[in-house]
Amino acid sequence: MIRTFGKYARLLGNLARYTLTRELAFRGNFLVKVSVEVLWLGILIAFFRTVFAKTNTLAGWTEPQYFFFVGCFFAVNGLIETLFMENCNEFAELVRTGDLDFLLLKPIDEQFLVTCRRVDWGTAPNVIMGFILMGISLVQMGWQFDAVRVAIFLLTFLCGTIISYCFMLLLTSLSVWMVRNQSLMEMWWLFSSLARYPKEIFAGPWGAPLGFIFTFLIPILVVVNVPSNAMVRMLEPGIVLLTVVATVILLWLSRRFFQKALRSYRSASS
Amino acid sequence: MTPPDSIGATMPTNEAIKSSSAAPSPTDSGGGEPPIHRRPWRTLRKYATIFRVSLSERMTYRSDFLIGTTLRFLPMVTTILLWQAVYVGSGQASLAGFNYNEMIAYLLLVHISRMFSSMPGLAGGIAREIREGTLKRYLTQPVDMIGYLTSYRIAHKVAYITMSFIPYAILFFICRNYFETFPDPLTLLAYAISLILAFMVGFYFEATVGMVGFWFLEVTSLLYIVMTLNFFISGHMLPLDLLPQPWQGILKALPFQYMAYFPAVVFLGKVRGMNLVYHLLGELAWAVFFLVLARFLYRRGLRRYGAYGG
Repeated sequence: MIRTFGKYARLLGNLARYTLTRELAFRGNFLVKVSVEVLWLGILIAFFRTVFAKTNTLAGWTEPQYFFFVGCFFAVNGLIETLFMENCNEFAELVRTGDLDFLLLKPIDEQFLVTCRRVDWGTAPNVIMGFILMGISLVQMGWQFDAVRVAIFLLTFLCGTIISYCFMLLLTSLSVWMVRNQSLMEMWWLFSSLARYPKEIFAGPWGAPLGFIFTFLIPILVVVNVPSNAMVRMLEPGIVLLTVVATVILLWLSRRFFQKALRSYRSASS
Repeated sequence: MTPPDSIGATMPTNEAIKSSSAAPSPTDSGGGEPPIHRRPWRTLRKYATIFRVSLSERMTYRSDFLIGTTLRFLPMVTTILLWQAVYVGSGQASLAGFNYNEMIAYLLLVHISRMFSSMPGLAGGIAREIREGTLKRYLTQPVDMIGYLTSYRIAHKVAYITMSFIPYAILFFICRNYFETFPDPLTLLAYAISLILAFMVGFYFEATVGMVGFWFLEVTSLLYIVMTLNFFISGHMLPLDLLPQPWQGILKALPFQYMAYFPAVVFLGKVRGMNLVYHLLGELAWAVFFLVLARFLYRRGLRRYGAYGG
């Protein structure tokens, strides 16, 4: 068990180093990718600055609290994009061309190989930018250091990232049946739009039931909400527990689904 | 990595064809030369065929498309909820002249604007043809590149709009209460015109960006920056009226507002009378401006075109 874990950790480290070398061979491209992300964060900030010029609170979140949320979202999303997005996005093409055969033949776990093959260093600075934004908002709201909150934040932040990964894996697996799932990147963007806002906005006659569904049945809302809530608003042990349980269940479920998808893979045109 | 001599060999050929490609002469079609008066008909049929082939290509992967369209509504759900929270939080009925219903209607309508004005893959495609050298097929065949791409794109848009019609009709039906008044026929006509012009502004703007590929072989990076920025400055995320003053004035002077903001406010009846006419003329002017610019860059670009890749 430990040896297997060590092997995969070493493998991941080597893959990360290899992709970094590749990335640095095209430094200009890398810089452009980073500047697009900076631009995007700038747009998000401009958008919410405009909104908060018209209102003091948004669904009970003050401006600094909200920017902490935005920073948290940016960091989680950055982590997902850095580690998994590009790999999952390529999966449909591997299925369509039949090149997936080569990955299946290797003596390494298929899920690991399909989802962790490459590290997209271009989006890695997003994680840092997200943490900087979170730091700035903490200073702005005069946050008092609290070790328990930090610990729970880190735990739920990790859980949130894993939950996002599981959802991405579920979406990716669909391409085995759909063959062309070129728009995974877009689909992911659309799906993750649910995680982009505080769950308190899910109010009203149809908003509240949706909020319930996306918290308890398809727990995408907990991804950013729970860590940010634990850090800058109230600490709710119940929902923290739910997040941890959901992480375990989703990890198992998405892996099962992925393996089921692989069994349906017909290795076309090979 | 093309050997220099092959570039030298193809260059004069390109030069020779380039002069005739813009206005195809009867000799272009090789064998049976059509009489002069039948030429427009043949040209039309040629582009109609391109249209038909592209249309059936678009219809091949339907499940991909359907899931995509359904998921596309999710952000709309969160947008409605977000703005509901904004209006509740502000305690005001109207923000920058938009009440809550108008705001949601606006944010729904920008989807329609973007349906016409967004051109996924256009600039990148042009840049790739330049980089890989496949551009020369437009130089050796009696098809004008911009004309071909226009037919192709219109086909994609027709397929896309036809297939999205039902999901969008359902969406607008569910959200019908956000539309307080239905525009009068004249406004609708202006709306239709503004959408067609939005297509033209969007198309020729992206084509122009793609032509930059003649000078810089890698434009995808530039394109990413432009498209990301466009998302905000076209008014896709929020009405430009909400922005503080210097920015609002600047963005309303730029062509990008015509790709999302302008058609939506026309539908909502926020631009009326002579103001509407001036703005439509302005939109037309930008469309023509980018059309001319794209063609100009294309001609200038062909002079430096190296026909890489064999």
